[in-house]
Amino acid sequence: MTSLMRQAGSTPMFERRQDVIIIGGGLQGCAIALFLARAGRSVGVIERTVAGRHASGVNAGGLRLLLRDHREYPIAVRAMEIWSGLEEFVGRAGAKASEVRLRTSQIAIAMDSNEMSWAEDRARDMGRRGILNERLLDGREVRRLLPGISSRVLGGLISEPDGHANPANAARAFRMAAAAAGAHIEEGCRVQGLERTGSGLWRVETDRGTAEAEIVINCAGAWGAGVARLVDETLSLEAMALSMMVTSRVEHFVTPVVIGIDRPLSFKQSAAGSLVIGGGIAGKPCLDEATSFTIMDRMVSSAAATIDAFPCLSDVPVLRTWTGLEGVTPDGIPYIGPSVRHPGLWHVFGFCGHGFQLSPAVGEIVATSILSGERDARLLPFSVDRFKAGQPVRGGGDDAAA
Amino acid sequence: MTETGTSSSPTGAGAVAMDADVIVIGAGPAGMSAATELGAAGFRVIALDMNPSPGGQIYRAVELNLGDQRADPVLARALGRAYAAGWPLVARFRNQEGIDYRPDTTVWELRTDGTVGWQRAARGGYLRARHIVLANGAMERPMPFPGWTLPGVMTAGAVQTLIKSSRLKPTGRVVLAGTGPLLFLLADQLLKLGVKPALIARTDRFGDKMKALARLRPAALPAIAKGAGWMLNLRKAGIRTVTGVARLEAVGDDRVREVVVETGDETTRLPCDTLIVHDGIIPSIDLAQGAGLAVEWRAGDASWCPVTEQSGLASPSRGANLSAGASRIWITGDARQIGGADAAAAHGRLVGQTLAARLEAAETEALTAGPARIYARAMAPRAFIDAAFPQGQTSGDLADSTIVCRCEEITAGTIRSKARQGATDPDQLRGLLRCGMGPCQGRSCASTIGRLLSEEFDLKRPPRPFRGRPPVRPVPLCILATLESLDPELVSSEALNDKPDASGGIDSDV
Ligand SMILES: Cc1cc2nc3c(=O)[nH]c(=O)nc-3n(C[C@H](O)[C@H](O)[C@H](O)COP(=O)(O)OP(=O)(O)OC[C@H]3O[C@@H](n4cnc5c(N)ncnc54)[C@H](O)[C@@H]3O)c2cc1C
Repeated sequence: MTSLMRQAGSTPMFERRQDVIIIGGGLQGCAIALFLARAGRSVGVIERTVAGRHASGVNAGGLRLLLRDHREYPIAVRAMEIWSGLEEFVGRAGAKASEVRLRTSQIAIAMDSNEMSWAEDRARDMGRRGILNERLLDGREVRRLLPGISSRVLGGLISEPDGHANPANAARAFRMAAAAAGAHIEEGCRVQGLERTGSGLWRVETDRGTAEAEIVINCAGAWGAGVARLVDETLSLEAMALSMMVTSRVEHFVTPVVIGIDRPLSFKQSAAGSLVIGGGIAGKPCLDEATSFTIMDRMVSSAAATIDAFPCLSDVPVLRTWTGLEGVTPDGIPYIGPSVRHPGLWHVFGFCGHGFQLSPAVGEIVATSILSGERDARLLPFSVDRFKAGQPVRGGGDDAAA
Repeated sequence: MTETGTSSSPTGAGAVAMDADVIVIGAGPAGMSAATELGAAGFRVIALDMNPSPGGQIYRAVELNLGDQRADPVLARALGRAYAAGWPLVARFRNQEGIDYRPDTTVWELRTDGTVGWQRAARGGYLRARHIVLANGAMERPMPFPGWTLPGVMTAGAVQTLIKSSRLKPTGRVVLAGTGPLLFLLADQLLKLGVKPALIARTDRFGDKMKALARLRPAALPAIAKGAGWMLNLRKAGIRTVTGVARLEAVGDDRVREVVVETGDETTRLPCDTLIVHDGIIPSIDLAQGAGLAVEWRAGDASWCPVTEQSGLASPSRGANLSAGASRIWITGDARQIGGADAAAAHGRLVGQTLAARLEAAETEALTAGPARIYARAMAPRAFIDAAFPQGQTSGDLADSTIVCRCEEITAGTIRSKARQGATDPDQLRGLLRCGMGPCQGRSCASTIGRLLSEEFDLKRPPRPFRGRPPVRPVPLCILATLESLDPELVSSEALNDKPDASGGIDSDV
């Protein structure tokens, strides 16, 4: 870690006032930094550990439109464009290392009639909203696309543009690109206090010195609510330790990413052949220590869902597990927007387990909003005060047919 | 004395029934001794071991090889008195009431609260006890060199396993290379089995022995006499030996055909069918680390070992852990600190007696004095041995092209270049390169990665090895899906509510 760290005081961030300081060097923070720095702004990113070490570097790498909340669609669609032309944003080497594979499809499988009717409702609803990438599949089509799947499968939903990327390398690519564009990235540096001075600037206190900026963006992921509390803002967030497991290699048999509808199922086969299995299982989060633990007792349901759908995988050994800390909001979509209490402060966190895909577009859209001084309309559903405004906590589908 | 206690679950709440007073992991000399003491004191013990019969590495298959009608006198003679010493230990363990011995059982998780994840054939689950004795032994220090992954290159330990469990011995032209007592013990055993090695290529030097003499203690003399005996036998048999080997290479296409040995001034090339290598042993820390126990670097024998008291009681590492509260884990034998079979048996007794007293809430001092004295005597030669057989091929320059992670075929050069780009700790390297992510779960590359990083950054001791997570051994999905005796408190907890309403809402990819 030390080799990447510079001494406090010797870095421009602590010497001169920055236009923008970003708290948190995950993908959201680094992507915003990249677009702001490219536009000529002076940007500092303050990261407690190592940029990308948390959710951004250890997620499942799924690039998915499938089953996305309709409110996220406009951003998610833009994100897909950026992912597919990544070289333009992070350079050749970074794009190559990120291993973006799109159009390999993601499929949500319906194993029982409840899930199937859910899928049918969803397809109808998406059609009515004009969202056309999601398509209903019958059992036969699913069996053709997913060899080895249980003959009980009734059907599902497919999104063909979807795919995946390598999260550790993508997080690194955005970090390097942001730095190359001129952003200062301070690692091993923790923000401990945040205060507005009389002159309207933000003073950002860290364990390595104090920095000043006109604008501060809270991209602290699972720790985002804690950062908001530094300025007496209460944003509801649950920190979850999302768990993944990896099997030994098996012969290549499935290209699409497979997810469950009402069961803890999510897996893809890596290029190396191993299966990477998720399913939203929670481990034990330890926010203060910036770590989390696997709870194997809970992985049982995810293993059972996997072999229920793919009986052929029964004997495949699980080699490892890992967990990553993610912030989860009450309604399952992130906070992206200006603070309602403090001018010059933005909150961008709480991506609820699916912010990897969104991150490049979040970076671009937040940056342009800040540069223009006008919030992009695509961000409106994510305003940080949406719960106070009396909206329903879940769903947001006011005109839903279901 | 078979009272059933309860344990607190990792979340701090809940109470789950105990399966035993003590669970012993590993049935080598340390584990068997601890279990026997505890059983004799009237406690309920469950002893888990991967192997089909008790004995551990050193006394592997001792009942089969020395006990039954099929015993082979040549093999018995080759394995010698040191092996036969395991027989009474195994017999006592077998006959001790109160021990529920479960062979063929692999432990894949350990928690400081006394929970053990196990698998046996098609079943798996959790067991819980008031205390755990971790006696899972040592492993050979992984020894990469050009050609080490070729078929026909084996470790000394693997050859011993073949001899003891399958009564197989190497054939053709056999070369031994490396250093450490086990290499010479094996050479001696091979001779007695009628296998005459073509060459013993030693990385240690005569000078090392001279330096080591400064650390010689009188109590070490019997062990050293034993070693000298092996050397004499090898000399008498006319086996060619070179010392001070600086470079070793296995050459071949589909398997090893030739071995190249370089000392300071001389290069030897020799046709070879089996190349047997060894560079000392190190504690198996996978379970301890996976449990979140603290480990420390021992410069003396260049190994990571768990932080324990003399009694074997292990300390949790600082910071967060899955289970709250004090550690219920006691570590003994080579898993605690390399000391060999006699030291392991003595320390195992010490732990067994200490724990028995603890369970009875009695004083321990008087009881454990005996094993403590034997343990100290058995450990006496260690400083000499460490100095006389310093780390050889596993220190110093490793060619960039040499494979370090066998599972993912990642070379020293790739690791070095990522380190230079800023990946300065093993976990970061694992994330970026997949080294340590294969079926061996990092056991065969962790020490080499530590060595490369300490060379690269000129560190006094290597960075902490990979973070351990369950399962530390592979567990098939079908067994994981049907694990028995889960902690109800833990299972009931929520997962990410991850699907939107059909009309929109929450979702995730995980
Ligand atoms: C296991 C797992 C699997 C996932 N799979 C997918 C997937 O397949 N597809 C998908 O789209 N999404 C997925 N996600 C979600 C995705 O990873 C996250 O939504 C996304 O990475 C969030 O980015 P972030 O920058 O907000 O958070 P992070 O990457 O967590 O970054 C926040 C950073 O803030 C820093 N920080 C916090 N407090 C301070 C402070 N006081 N001072 C300085 N720095 C601080 C932290 O150290 C951290 O590095 C998954 C998440 C997990 C955990």
